[in-house]
This record gives sequence, C-alpha cells and structure tokens, in this order.
Amino acid sequence: MRWAIDHASRERLQDQIAGCVRGGVATGELEVGEQLPPAAELGAALSVDRNTVLAAYRQLRDDGVLEFRRGRGARVASGGPDLSAVTEAARSLIATARLHGLGRNEIIRIIKELT
Amino acid sequence: MTSPPLAGDGTHAVYTGRTTSWTTVAATCVAGVLLVLMATSSGGDWSDLVIVLPLLLIAIGVLADVLTASSVRATAGPNGFTIRWGSVGWPRCSYPLDRIARAEVIDLPWWRVSWGFWWTPWRTSCTVRGGPTVRLTLSSGRIVTVTVPEPAAAVAALHAAGAARHDA
Repeated sequence: MRWAIDHASRERLQDQIAGCVRGGVATGELEVGEQLPPAAELGAALSVDRNTVLAAYRQLRDDGVLEFRRGRGARVASGGPDLSAVTEAARSLIATARLHGLGRNEIIRIIKELT
Repeated sequence: MTSPPLAGDGTHAVYTGRTTSWTTVAATCVAGVLLVLMATSSGGDWSDLVIVLPLLLIAIGVLADVLTASSVRATAGPNGFTIRWGSVGWPRCSYPLDRIARAEVIDLPWWRVSWGFWWTPWRTSCTVRGGPTVRLTLSSGRIVTVTVPEPAAAVAALHAAGAARHDA
C-alpha cells in the first residue's frame, strides 16, 4: 500500500491519511479484509503522531470503510461504501474539463474551491 | 511521542506491506503435532501432569509462532526502511536512509530463501518466498534481503525519499 501525505498542505493530516486508504480501496490496492499497518508503525513512517493515524482510522470506521477487531487491528470492511458512482462522475468531470482545455491542477483547484 | 524531523519539502511518500510466513506457521504446527504424538505414544496418561505440562507448553509455542509469523511488516519511505516480525513487531530492524547505499529489486531463487528472519555478521535476511524481493546494500556493506508484497513500490519510495533529501 502506497501512502502520500503533505505536511505543508492545509488539509488536515488525518484527512490525508484517510484519503490514502479510500484511494487504496477505490483502486483495489487494498482488498477486503486486508489489515492496515498498526497506527504506531504507520505514524513513524509518515512522521505523524500515532493518534493522528488512529483518528484517521476511526473516521474511516465511522464511514464503514474499515472495521476494528480486538487484537487484530483495522481491516478493510466488506461491503463498504460503493464508490463506483463517484468514480464514474469524476471521469465525466475530467472529460468535460479536458474539452474546455483545463488541466489536472485546474480541476483540483475547482474541486478545492467547491469543497 | 515525538515525530521524527520532516524530510524534504514535507511530502511523505511511504510504502507499507505485510506478508505471512506460511512455511514457519506450517512447520511449527507439524512439529507441535509430532511432539504431541511422541508424548502420548510414550505411554503417558492424559491426567498425568508430566504429559499435560509439556502439552501446554507446546500449545503456547505453536500459538505464539502462528501469531508472530503470520504478520511480517515492512515500511519504506523518508524515515528509511523498517522490518517488523510478528504481531509484537519483534525482532525489528530499522535502516535510516543515510545508511542505505543502494536499494534494488532482485529476483530471489527459491533455494536462496531464508524462510524466516536471519541475522549474520554480513547479512540480514527476512524472506518468506522466492521471486521479486527487496535488496538493500547498506553503507557498512551489510546486505539486507526482505520479502514485501510489492518490492518495486518499496524501492521506488526509498529512491524518491533519497532524491528529495539530496534536493533539500
């Protein structure tokens, strides 16, 4: 599993970590039932506090992406939210943006302004 | 708990992977069953403490090994490369970026697989299967070989972190 976070970004670190997991689930890099790294270990690798990782994991559990089991850590939940509609909408957004000559950064800027 | 200092411009691209040492798990289970068979065939009675105590020890040993060997975790990124063996994360080996001279993906033939965690004066080997494997050469000359699910991604994370460090 690949993780990329930006300490200089204004987006909260826990949201960025949660975003990595969501992305991993959406692309299939994380399979259902796969165990995520323990919070302390991921935190050390990303140079963030363990509690930040735990906050991200908890946020994902509340959204039904992960499930916690005692002694077995955080796992990717089965039957999590279906993101295929979002992916499909994003594809059409990108296609429309390309038609109007907008690049990747412009699309991201528009999304950032709207959210 | 303090976080290590930031590397580069603040972006952290990290790879994490988990593998299971099925050979260790299987070998322990087989050895455990054999020991139980030997203990019972020596004419002991189940109520006998002499039989029950070793059985208990064997059961604990098998359980401990299944717990530990079923999770071998590796992380690669700006804070270097770390291997943690088992759910408790021990033994653990950590190599900061400035100690890693070279990182590459090698194709490990099955007869060179260590089937576990080995530490010798020149090599550290933590391989549980053949095929593409991460090979680190440290500045001290030590050779580290580790099984991760996606060796190319792990090596790419180390190279990216190393490049960001040189730019900074």
